[in-house]
Amino acid sequence: MKLEGYKLVFVAVGLIGVLLIATPALAGAIHLPSGEQFSELYLLGPDHMAENYPYNIAVGQNYSVYVDVGNQLGSSAYYVLYVKLGNETDPRPNNNAGTPSSLPPLYEYRFSIQDNQTWDSLLTFAVSNALISGNNSQINTLQINGAAFNVDKPSMWDSNNTAFRYQLLFELWIYNDKSNSIEYNDRFVDMILNLSND
Amino acid sequence: MVDHCKLKSTTLLVILTLSLCFLSVYQVAAQTDQTESKLQAANTAINQAFSSIVDAEKAGANVTGLLAQLNTAEGILAQAENSYRTGDSNTAAAQADRVLPITQQVTTAAQDAKQAATVFGQNTFWSTIAFTVIGSFVFVLVLFLIWRWFKRRYINNLSQSKPEVNS
Repeated sequence: MKLEGYKLVFVAVGLIGVLLIATPALAGAIHLPSGEQFSELYLLGPDHMAENYPYNIAVGQNYSVYVDVGNQLGSSAYYVLYVKLGNETDPRPNNNAGTPSSLPPLYEYRFSIQDNQTWDSLLTFAVSNALISGNNSQINTLQINGAAFNVDKPSMWDSNNTAFRYQLLFELWIYNDKSNSIEYNDRFVDMILNLSND
Repeated sequence: MVDHCKLKSTTLLVILTLSLCFLSVYQVAAQTDQTESKLQAANTAINQAFSSIVDAEKAGANVTGLLAQLNTAEGILAQAENSYRTGDSNTAAAQADRVLPITQQVTTAAQDAKQAATVFGQNTFWSTIAFTVIGSFVFVLVLFLIWRWFKRRYINNLSQSKPEVNS
């Protein structure tokens, strides 16, 4: 190899070496785009598995589900989880419009989670006062984690599903730092329940 | 005369009863308003504390402990809101009051953590720049010296080599 060839090799080694040495500084200056950012909301049955969800509920009995929220937003987040009770005709959150259900919240959780972390809590509920008469039913009092709420929620007999159908709705809200307010995070899950005499 | 006195007494009794009703209703309304304002204050305090934590996190601080403290306050506020929904305003107000000292503590700690993280971040940044500049300079210098030595040796080898004639 001629001297000019060796010179090119030395210049190339020099450039690569300088780039390697500058890597820590470059890593601090260059911010690569992060992945998809989202929040997770899901329910698990009483055994912490996606099975054995309560469906047939009787007055005076306790039922449990686990509520889980995951933060994949890239930074810590402050969430509010609202629990609402509705019947078959009550409005659900609108996925297209990104609006929550107009039902009033009965119970709420508030918690903050770091990025890549999950929050998990056991929710126990019981219907402590209800009426079933002919084709009509009404849940008067619902207990959630020991707190009793007067709901007076009626439901007609659903002959297609042969049930007095109610829905326990879980809506995820999140604190928005820019608007300084809690906003609906466009995430909800619902659990269909059938009020029965047994 | 007796009828007149009876009428007066009845009127007085009615006025007293109405006043008592009004006062009790007013008291309940005032208590509800007070609870609502306490809940609002607790909400605002938690929002501020969380914003401080996020600022500290962006500056590079470890906020695990601060979030754990804030979670305690958020749990109490949720209990207060739930108590208020069940109609227990007294408990709700008492729980809302418990939120404020925690959030103040968290906000102050988060601001301190942010300051410390900012200083640490700046120091790290300048250390990295210094390492890059000095490291690159030393590397290029060493490479240049090696190049000079190599070049001299190459030329010497070239000048000392004898031409060979291939027959």
